[in-house]
Amino acid sequence: MTDGDTLGDRIRRLTRAERGVAVFVVGLVGVLLAGTLGGVFGPTYVLYLLGLVGMYVLLSFGLNVQWGYAGLINFSVAAFFGLGAYGTALLTADNSPIAGGVSPVVGLVVGLGLAAVLAVAIGIPTLRLRTDYLAIASLGLAEVVRLVVRNERQWTNGSAGLRGIPGFFEGWPVLAQLPETLPGLRVEVVPGSPIFVQTPFWQAALNVGLVFVFVAVTYLLLRRLHRSPWGRVLRTIRSDEDLAAALGRDTYRFKMQAFVLGSVIAALAGVFYAHLNLFVSPGDLEPINTFYVWIAVILGGSGSNRGAMFGGFVVIAIREGTRFVDSFGGLPVDVAPLRLLVIGLLIVLVMRFRPEGVLPPQRELIWPAALADAETPERGPDTAADGGDES
Amino acid sequence: MSVLEYLANGLVFSSIVVLASVGLSLVYSIAGFANFAHGDTMTVGAYAALVTFGAVGGLGAGVLGLPVGFFVALLVGAVVAAVVAVVTHRIVYEPLELDSIGLLITSIGVAFVYRGAIQTGFGAGFTEFGIQVLRPIEFLIPYGVRITRHDVAIVLSAGALVAATHALLQYTDLGRKMRATADNPELARVAGIRTARIELWTWVVGAGLAGAGGVFLGLYNQVSPRMGFNLLLVVFAAVILGGIGSVYGAMLGGFLIGTINQLTPLLSDLGIPIGIEYANAVAFLVMVAVLLVRPQGIAGEVVS
Repeated sequence: MTDGDTLGDRIRRLTRAERGVAVFVVGLVGVLLAGTLGGVFGPTYVLYLLGLVGMYVLLSFGLNVQWGYAGLINFSVAAFFGLGAYGTALLTADNSPIAGGVSPVVGLVVGLGLAAVLAVAIGIPTLRLRTDYLAIASLGLAEVVRLVVRNERQWTNGSAGLRGIPGFFEGWPVLAQLPETLPGLRVEVVPGSPIFVQTPFWQAALNVGLVFVFVAVTYLLLRRLHRSPWGRVLRTIRSDEDLAAALGRDTYRFKMQAFVLGSVIAALAGVFYAHLNLFVSPGDLEPINTFYVWIAVILGGSGSNRGAMFGGFVVIAIREGTRFVDSFGGLPVDVAPLRLLVIGLLIVLVMRFRPEGVLPPQRELIWPAALADAETPERGPDTAADGGDES
Repeated sequence: MSVLEYLANGLVFSSIVVLASVGLSLVYSIAGFANFAHGDTMTVGAYAALVTFGAVGGLGAGVLGLPVGFFVALLVGAVVAAVVAVVTHRIVYEPLELDSIGLLITSIGVAFVYRGAIQTGFGAGFTEFGIQVLRPIEFLIPYGVRITRHDVAIVLSAGALVAATHALLQYTDLGRKMRATADNPELARVAGIRTARIELWTWVVGAGLAGAGGVFLGLYNQVSPRMGFNLLLVVFAAVILGGIGSVYGAMLGGFLIGTINQLTPLLSDLGIPIGIEYANAVAFLVMVAVLLVRPQGIAGEVVS
């Protein structure tokens, strides 16, 4: 992107897929906005959805490090997500059998720490093995984690889950009181359906701000890492592990680092979830949640952070959209199995017709300086865009 | 409960696991990927049998406490599972140009489609075959073993199916071609074996065994849309323990994992506080421990 770009130039340089995605996202945001202004959705609920999207984007980022960068099939995303959520919830929740009342910041550190330890524990037996062993072993070990959380009532409260988790900013100097001090508003865009903007709304806005910070920091970190020598080694491992080993890289160590990093990011999403939802239960560790994240990554395009964001959007649209349909009783059948069916079909269709995903990595893989060279005026923007399509 | 009883339960449960593992291992060795839809293929078989049994009912006299109609339902369950798998192979897996990982991920989608479809049709709840629950066999009770004639039927049928699979692999033309294809698909093709057809037959045999395993699982426990998926991890543990791609390893692994699974209560009898709710977890940890020592599994060959 040179400085002289106008918006029109940028739009012209998008690929067809990118345009489609842009239209989809703008359309979805438009529907939500219109629905909110028209009083169909509560504005607080819309912000909650946005928080969930942010959470899925984080989860996708985490899996992307493991699968997209390093080619590790990790089927234990839900376990790490759950460790993050339970790590902070056990310390902060009212009915926690262990502690309770500790600052969420400590919970954050503990949640991430737990995830890092488990990642190493899972990585040691599996990362030296063939890739499909990791898939099966990680799914199994995630199941072990879920069984422990569900059955060890004296530590985790069992299937009852943990309630009374405070918001993330509880006990912070200014931010803790901010939602109460901000004014309540009454907005009436469409006559007859006023929108109330009150404390819960500001609370939700604060949460969205928090996840936005998490996502932004993670994104910047990952972008830097992906372009660094470390990221290049990971990409080599993904495409040809023997080659990386022949070049003198300790592939086991690199895979372990990628696995731990990705797992910690998943746990970060879990920490956010605990303080967003204010309730966690063993159901959050169900394997289906792992596959939701996989869909987000595969659909978006493995290895692409933009794709991960888009995937997060779509997954929330499926999950919450079907819930919405259900609550209105629009369909004669139960929605839960239908959602499973749709998700299954989506995986099959994407793998069949677009296995590289909707937004495969393009310019993300190219060193920015090299891209600037390629986009010199003599070659023209069109050829540069085509050249950038190689992933 | 006595150790003998745990072992008897282990024999019954591992019969089911062995059926599923042999099928999974066959597909793994010839189609070349870890099929995550295998558990849900078992569910498909179980529901097909459930519907059939509802239709033919208590047809005929009893064999080991089971009406002949049940064996008809068993056959239908296996056939339906095989047909579903072949159709899936034709319209989903065959047109794909992906590596084994891509196929693995696709099979997760397939698993969801199977389960979603079953759940849409039959609901999420538990059902049972309408077969009268039997009392334990009298003359075994003094030995502390409480198993029913249904359990004996499961073990015998599974034994017969496994023996048939062994005969198929060792003594028939199809079996020889399957082994050749599993060993080296390129060489098999050069040698004039129509590997695409062999692959199709592998799906028939593998999914048929899975379907039968699903029917027995339904008889042993209950029938529910999640039944196969819940067993899938145990089956994978068995296959990996035996050595991925080795059918005889899968038999051994299935037997070991199934037995270990049922022996879990022994741990609390010995004072180790790990209850039956961790049966699957224990089986799984055993698998991981074996992998640490012998990454290729018990009967697997060293992969370069």
